[in-house]
Amino acid sequence: MSAGHHHERPASEAELRARALEALLVERGLVSTDAIDAVVSYYEQDVGPQNGARAVARAWLDEAYRGRLLERPGDALAELGFGGMEGHNMTVVANTPAVHNVIVCTLCSCYPWPVLGLPPSWYKSEAYRARVVAEPRAVLREFGLELAADVDVRVWDSSAEVRYLVLPMRPPGTGELAEEQLAARVTRDCMIGTAVP
Amino acid sequence: MGGMHGFGPVAVPGGELPYHERWEPRIFALHLLTGFEGLGAGPGGRQTREEMDPAGYLAASYYERWTWSAEQRLLRKGTIAPGEVEAMMARLAAGEAAPEHEDPAMSRRVVERLQRRAPMDPPPADARFAAGDRVRVRRMRPQGHTRCPRYVRGATGTVERVHGADRLPDLTTYGEPARPEPVYSVAFASPDLWGPSDEPPFTVLLDLWDSYLEPT
Repeated sequence: MSAGHHHERPASEAELRARALEALLVERGLVSTDAIDAVVSYYEQDVGPQNGARAVARAWLDEAYRGRLLERPGDALAELGFGGMEGHNMTVVANTPAVHNVIVCTLCSCYPWPVLGLPPSWYKSEAYRARVVAEPRAVLREFGLELAADVDVRVWDSSAEVRYLVLPMRPPGTGELAEEQLAARVTRDCMIGTAVP
Repeated sequence: MGGMHGFGPVAVPGGELPYHERWEPRIFALHLLTGFEGLGAGPGGRQTREEMDPAGYLAASYYERWTWSAEQRLLRKGTIAPGEVEAMMARLAAGEAAPEHEDPAMSRRVVERLQRRAPMDPPPADARFAAGDRVRVRRMRPQGHTRCPRYVRGATGTVERVHGADRLPDLTTYGEPARPEPVYSVAFASPDLWGPSDEPPFTVLLDLWDSYLEPT
């Protein structure tokens, strides 16, 4: 979309200020319009939860891959072509019948971009950042996820340069599905930990 | 802000989208380019956003904070001068078309940069703590950027693993020298953070630099 498109309603102060910064740098040739388009398109088209879902589906089908994904996640994801900014130090945490994992960044919005793309608004919200480390079950309930009382909920606060991905449990009744069909069952929220497939 | 009350529900309509308006991913992209192309100065984007006054920080939307930090970093470097943003805002508000400029080399450069891998150093052999060790988070009140959230300061937890070695962001943010030091995954039992709760006990894990920790 062109930065100079016409609006049906007047631009907000916030929008005007952001567009003015872009216009200033573009006018001076310091930043190019197509480079901005390239970043936006990269995270809208090329990189997103479909990447993480592929790794999860592969791990469900291939025990050796699952082992590599948990032991050397950076290399295992690179096998599928995934890696880069905000994914330099990946840790994959596996759900089991006894353990349910959830990821958060209470300090800001750290998130594994190469496998999940850019985070949903709720992940960046003050409410999520404040509450999921203090009352995870109440937060998960808002997403419709009710866990048995004896499940250990493990909340991973991404306070350093490590980025987390949740490896959900393979749902029952999916024995016949191929990798692509399995990947379609793995939503972004399953890999954050606020849903299960 | 871990543990704060009063922010309401997490699951709200529209919350599943990464952004809602076209300027939001564009300011995100512009912010990255400001860094990659060396147009900004001083602490990085996130560290700069933490310099917002707390009331302004909470009142701003997520991407308004990114606009703010991009502008501060550009001003610090002298890439833009005070008043220039307002002048451009007036031009755009008056209906002037935004300028365009193509640079395919820059497009390629930025995508390559997004894909580049740069893992942490491996953990040092002489890390002070090992998996299973009990550690206490130091009580402290740092003035600037830190990755030691307030809600774990003073709490006791158990080292789960040593992730690797990294320089202390409390120093590197301000260009101060720092040696790589171990970064640990530390597990805290919820009662040790929050006391009694309506929920069954759970575990919160944080990644903490060696400097934040002391033996129990």
